Amino acid sequence: MEIPGNQLNLLPSQTFHSMKMPAVAESEQLPVPQARAGEPAAWDALFRRYQLPLYVYVFELTRNEQTSLDLVQETFIAAVKHLGGLRDGEKFGSWLFGIAHQKVIQLWRKRGGRELLFDEIPESLDEFEDSPDELLIRREQEAAFMNLLNQLPPPQRSALLLHFVEDFSLEEIARITETQIGTVKSRLHYAKRALRKLLKQNER
Amino acid sequence: MKTPREILLERHQAAAPKLDAIRQSAVAAVCGRRISNERQSQTTATMILKTFWLELVWPCRRIWAGLAAVWILIFVFNLSQRDPSELMARKSPPPAPQMVLAFWQQEKLLDELMVPDKPPAVEPPKPFLPQPRSELRMQTLTA
Repeated sequence: MEIPGNQLNLLPSQTFHSMKMPAVAESEQLPVPQARAGEPAAWDALFRRYQLPLYVYVFELTRNEQTSLDLVQETFIAAVKHLGGLRDGEKFGSWLFGIAHQKVIQLWRKRGGRELLFDEIPESLDEFEDSPDELLIRREQEAAFMNLLNQLPPPQRSALLLHFVEDFSLEEIARITETQIGTVKSRLHYAKRALRKLLKQNER
Repeated sequence: MKTPREILLERHQAAAPKLDAIRQSAVAAVCGRRISNERQSQTTATMILKTFWLELVWPCRRIWAGLAAVWILIFVFNLSQRDPSELMARKSPPPAPQMVLAFWQQEKLLDELMVPDKPPAVEPPKPFLPQPRSELRMQTLTA
């Protein structure tokens, strides 16, 4: 698929790093051992780091502010309660998003929703390897982007959000959503293809 | 130009104060959990002592006091009745080697004197020879 250069520019990532946003990379030193020891300051730092990305993820799946706030709170409380279950080497971020994802699924189950569980795309694709930072959206396309995000089926939306918001790897997204890596690949592929198509249409 | 991440986070920046409040409540829960854990470990020991005191000692306090007084009296009496020679023996210096040697020789002599005589020789048992049944009957009849 041919993408016009003015829509999806491949720019060096430092152009937007000056913005005041939570860091994406998990290589940052998170005070997880201190949190394990029950230090409130460590928990504050961890929650501060993830509160907004987590809220964005939950909100874009539930589309309800109060529900999202409740789910974020429940996720934080569950994290405090079950941090002992975080295995060595497992990343705190993906673990926390995994808890939030389970909370969203529980909510949908309560409401009788089946979309996240049964909307599977069976085929597996290997060409997915681009970074979320390589996709740049112009100001006038922002509304269209958000609109498209809302139109995507929840499994694709979930994978795309995890990819965009925290730049999680395919393995991490698979672990968070409890799916196969091939499924995550195909979801991301279709979601990105739809996004590019929309941005192309919007350009005309 | 913005990345999708920037767009998404910017769109939800308005929720930041509410998220701060949630974070603070979660951190407060961490503090509460920590304090309650510490208190729990402290209170467990005091609770056991308190229960022991209230249920076992306090209801029969006069009996316990009486028993304690009796035990103290016994202890004092025992102390006063102790043999002073024991104390002297404990305080005396260790015996001289000559004394130890003499004592050892005396003991040896006593052992030699006390050795019992050889036991009498026991007659070896007769070997059992099987006899015909008819002879056996005859023997019993003659007896």
